[in-house]
Amino acid sequence: MNPADANDTIIKEIIIKAPAERVFEALSDPEQRVQWWGAEGRFQATHMESDLRPGGAWLMRGNGMGGRPFSARGAYRIVERPTVLEFTWLADWHEEAIQSLVRFDLEEKDGATLVRLTHSGLTSARARENYKGWPWLLALLQAYAEKRVAANIL
Amino acid sequence: MAVLGQKQHAAVFRVIADPTRREILGLLRGGRQTVGAIAGNFRMSRPAISKHLRLLRSAGLVVSRRQGASSVCELNAKPLRAVNDWLKDYEAFWDENLRKLKQHVEENP
Repeated sequence: MNPADANDTIIKEIIIKAPAERVFEALSDPEQRVQWWGAEGRFQATHMESDLRPGGAWLMRGNGMGGRPFSARGAYRIVERPTVLEFTWLADWHEEAIQSLVRFDLEEKDGATLVRLTHSGLTSARARENYKGWPWLLALLQAYAEKRVAANIL
Repeated sequence: MAVLGQKQHAAVFRVIADPTRREILGLLRGGRQTVGAIAGNFRMSRPAISKHLRLLRSAGLVVSRRQGASSVCELNAKPLRAVNDWLKDYEAFWDENLRKLKQHVEENP
């Protein structure tokens, strides 16, 4: 990953006590995907279509807060069973279409698998060029917070 | 999921995607300034700067008020929190998803 992109990239890791092959299956099999993709009371995937090959399209639908339907779609970029799954990500809850990139790296060791999720390009390539990273934004936010502290309203 | 991305976020993203408008925000970080003083920092015409200021105002990032014959602009960074919150929402989104993935795989070997 290009370090210049790091400011709008989310990286998460989790260790799963199962072989990488099993994790890859849960990630890529549409029937299994809808069983786990969600968060208690916030959103739940209910339907997925998937053409699992580089360039193949995927589509996921589900219910969000208050039963509001959502969908997300994209195309697979890298399918390397059972170590890498990378796909573009375009969710319909963004007012402006921002296509980002989601990548799962699976690393098996002693029967457990380290799963690393990398979600990059979150502010879109164009915006990222212009932002020159998040420090710019953070500086303004800091100014805002400090002003609130100064005004004694925090 | 509905907490992710709202209209306001998009408006803020759109407005700050422009380099001139970001530069104006940067100038106002140093304190309030008149429209004339802001325009003095740019080569473009004053009407062009006024147009950028209008967009910044409509996104709530700049607040201006009359002071004698001139208009004084002030930075309001609060809407930028929406952009920051949006990233944080995604963090929570992936935390939950990974937790559920782990649970699913470990309970169904």
